Amino acid sequence: MKAEQPRHVGARIQRFEDIRLLSGLARYIDDIRLPNMLHLNFVRADIAHARIVGIDSSALADIGYPTWVFTGEHTAGLSMKAHQDYPEMQYSEQPLLAEGKVRFVGEPVAVVLAEDAYKAEDAAEHVMVEYDSLPVVGTMKQARDASLPPLFDGWTSNVIVQRQMKGGDLEAARTAAAHVIKRTYRTQRQAGVPMECRGVVAHYNPADRLLTVWSSTQMPHLVRTYIAEELNLPESRIRVVAPDVGGGFGIKGQVFGDEVLVAWLAMKTGRPVKWIEDRREHLVASLHARDHEHTLEAYVSADGRLLGLKADITVDNGAYSTFPFTAAGEPGMVGKVLPGPYDLKAYEATFRAVATNKCPIGTYRGVARPSAVFSQERLMDDIALELGMDPFELRLKNIVREFPYKNVLGFTYDEGSYAQSLEQMRGLLAKDIVDATASRASETTRIGVGFACFIEQTAHGTPDFTRRRVPIETGYIAARVEMSPDGEATIDLGLQNHGQGLETTMAQVAADALGILPENIYVRHGDTLTTPYSVGTWGSRGGPLGGGAVHIAATKLADKLRAIAAHLLQVKADQIELANGKASVRGNPGNHIEIRKLARAALRNVDQLPEGMTPGLEAHASLDGPRDGSYSNAVHAAVVEIDVTTGKMKLRRFVVVEDCGTILNPLVVDGQVRGGVVQGIGSAMFEHFIYDAECQPLTTNFADYLMPLAPEIPDIEVHHIETPTPLTPLGAKGLGEGGAIGPAAAIANAVANALGVGVISTPLNTNALWKLSQHIREAV
Amino acid sequence: MVVKGEPMRPASFEYHRATSLEHALELLSQFGDDGRPIAGGQSLVPMMNFRLARPGHLVDINKLPIAGIEVLGKTLRIGALTRHEAYFGNPLIARHFPAFLDAVHYIGHPTIRRNGSIGGSISHADPTAELPAVAVLHDADIVVRSTAGERRIPATEFFLSAYVTALEPGEMVVAVELPLPPETSTGSFIELGERSGDFATASVGITLEHDGSAVTKAAMVCSGADLFPIRAPEIEDFLAGQPLIDPKAKEAGQLFAESIDPVDDHIASADYRRGLIAQLTQRAITTACTRALGKK
Repeated sequence: MKAEQPRHVGARIQRFEDIRLLSGLARYIDDIRLPNMLHLNFVRADIAHARIVGIDSSALADIGYPTWVFTGEHTAGLSMKAHQDYPEMQYSEQPLLAEGKVRFVGEPVAVVLAEDAYKAEDAAEHVMVEYDSLPVVGTMKQARDASLPPLFDGWTSNVIVQRQMKGGDLEAARTAAAHVIKRTYRTQRQAGVPMECRGVVAHYNPADRLLTVWSSTQMPHLVRTYIAEELNLPESRIRVVAPDVGGGFGIKGQVFGDEVLVAWLAMKTGRPVKWIEDRREHLVASLHARDHEHTLEAYVSADGRLLGLKADITVDNGAYSTFPFTAAGEPGMVGKVLPGPYDLKAYEATFRAVATNKCPIGTYRGVARPSAVFSQERLMDDIALELGMDPFELRLKNIVREFPYKNVLGFTYDEGSYAQSLEQMRGLLAKDIVDATASRASETTRIGVGFACFIEQTAHGTPDFTRRRVPIETGYIAARVEMSPDGEATIDLGLQNHGQGLETTMAQVAADALGILPENIYVRHGDTLTTPYSVGTWGSRGGPLGGGAVHIAATKLADKLRAIAAHLLQVKADQIELANGKASVRGNPGNHIEIRKLARAALRNVDQLPEGMTPGLEAHASLDGPRDGSYSNAVHAAVVEIDVTTGKMKLRRFVVVEDCGTILNPLVVDGQVRGGVVQGIGSAMFEHFIYDAECQPLTTNFADYLMPLAPEIPDIEVHHIETPTPLTPLGAKGLGEGGAIGPAAAIANAVANALGVGVISTPLNTNALWKLSQHIREAV
Repeated sequence: MVVKGEPMRPASFEYHRATSLEHALELLSQFGDDGRPIAGGQSLVPMMNFRLARPGHLVDINKLPIAGIEVLGKTLRIGALTRHEAYFGNPLIARHFPAFLDAVHYIGHPTIRRNGSIGGSISHADPTAELPAVAVLHDADIVVRSTAGERRIPATEFFLSAYVTALEPGEMVVAVELPLPPETSTGSFIELGERSGDFATASVGITLEHDGSAVTKAAMVCSGADLFPIRAPEIEDFLAGQPLIDPKAKEAGQLFAESIDPVDDHIASADYRRGLIAQLTQRAITTACTRALGKK
């Protein structure tokens, strides 16, 4: 059924949820206080690799208040299992509390419960753990050194998984190439840093045998399923609630051992249990991201055609595989996306994840693509430099222009605006390119222009996960739309809103179908008791799949409204239009009935319904992603100004040209893009989680782990091209992550342009820039 | 090996509100090592949350009448409770202490400048904090009191190492006194950190006295070269007699950089710090000389 002419989709509506979020009315995990509640404090490993000799909590006997201590002995057998069913992948589990060994600083060893959070924290200081230290595996190189013992019994090495992807005839490409350009690129380890840390509260009510778990998560249904399976409980007796979540960015798009543990403790103790993660715990022991090394070898013709690409990809995964995307997820993603927006006929990628004594790596906004695009787009600039070509010309020569396009690995790209976005960006940067060239004479200040062109596979469907044999298993999103007798509607959404504006955009989508106003639609989410089973909010699927599911369900409901209206107005259903709260006869707007009267008829005055129609106004829809997803595209550009005498860099401009298909709400799209870009600037310039040689973390607070701050961020200019995809009901593609994907590459290219040097790694902080500027200082 | 936990909540402490300076000193004397005065809490509270500082008793001095900037004879006296934002727009600072005024712009962010106090910053002795450097540059006296009476400690002897000062248990900073420089003096202060408002990677402050065409006397302070702000006597000597128009600033920077042995850490390598300090020295001298020429 064709949608009504959009009225609300595409409108610049301010976010409804902001009234709550900006006025202190939001309720976060730490706001949940239950009577008789116990507070949990972790005792965490302060040594990276060791055998646990003993845990002594006897000092708590004299502390003067009641405490409860649990260790790995109590939770033995309970663990996080995150495995892809490849023969090449070595199996491991992460126990909820360390059993026998610790494998990274911050790993939970024991918990102390007490009647307030301060007491729990004081008491945790009295639990003494004796360790027998083991040598650490601290680097990718050490992890690939076969002489060092593996982190897990039964493993043959510290390479968790190594696989290959290929397509086309790489040997022929190599033979035909006039130029072979080989580079190794490195992106640093980061922490993902939502404003709100994580936290879990659990309560078991024996009266109805219901376990309720509140968690600051992006995926309540998956948390429910995992807890049910691990604790052997019926899923119908578990309710998982994600209250207001203060940012997730993928970091909260995992199931964590502490979610299972807090639930288990609530059942074990018979009292509500609460754990609120502090910032240090979050930085050290929640989840890290990036930490890639890519060696790329490009085979290029004399006139700049990219004939083939060979890639060797290593990700330092840390100690454990995480659920549900696993240790294979991050390097596999690089292998999959490196061909990018370019027409490439031969490709081979070898990718591996290695285990080290560090915090596990997981998904963080962009998921591997910020690193992949860094390498891909740095390589394109390095090729351009080697061939003496303009970087725009090189890309335009290789860019995919015909759609749908089947790439070298067999993935099909839907319609995009790759060449157009490059051309538009070139126009936007014309003056900056002149300024940059003029600055080459300066002994102190150099200006550079850099850009990055990329595509992003969004809204992946189930086949994508099946191919990867990844425990997430599927990617569909479900929604239920219901209208009450007063004509107001409710959407129960399988997505969880943690900043995406879904309470507004989903109402806009349903409003167009139902003919009522978005403000008359209440979007509920994040509670497994009220929302249909879904995989949660991650992977840039909210707009295309959540919006699509809402559209389908709302349209079903609208069909019923039209049928009732047709009956009452004595016309055919296809003559009815729903808009402005009214059902009107097309071409005869005077002949109409209010939608609230139709709702009343469907739910109360059911004698008014057509013969045989069942009462009720409720519709459900679930929508899986397209087989290969839908590909958004963007070009990001940075104009930088570097003081070569101090290494200080200023971002003069940051410009985005993006295409996410149909725009549901331009304010939300701009906000998502800008927020992502700020995080990408963090990746490019500031954020670096550092371990010393013994795998002791050095950046455990915000004085050492540097986030981008407002004064460092320029105005971020966002330009839109709208190429709707035929693959989702509204033509929308995903856009939540794209902002974070391009900045590292764009800024690095700008630095390379400004200084006339190769840039092979991030972060580009003052110290790094000072080193990269050395040749300019020495020439003075 | 003993696990210390991962604290983000302070260890338990007792809070006392001092009603007079005598009361505060009485309490601090009573608690000795276990007591700390608290004003804006901009440094002490984070340290307590990390449990790096675990005072058993906090003495709140916010109600004491020890804030203010005033001239007493030939010195400028700054009360310990003076908040950082008070220097902006203060005519005495603007007239006599251009390097000081430059430095204040680098202190944290507006909230920090609204709450933080000079007594707190001086007592905390962060290696690259601005006010300790300013005090050392200007040959300030740190005025401290305890129930035993008052001591005046030259700033150049007050800072002993990172976060370590000459304060004794029971003592509290009550004021910082800077000698008023002659009218024909000027100065400048420059620092660089990773982000605006960050702890500095390095900073350099300069004061100059001059005769209109040449430097007659100079002082220089540097943070980031050592664990506390240090003076640079050899550069001060080098600068005396240099013409204001071309004071050989670059040479001075290089000379100073060769004499120091800065720390190497995960934010900045020793090499970078040395190079940066050379550059900051050059710029601070150039700016001060430019200002000197503009004044006449």
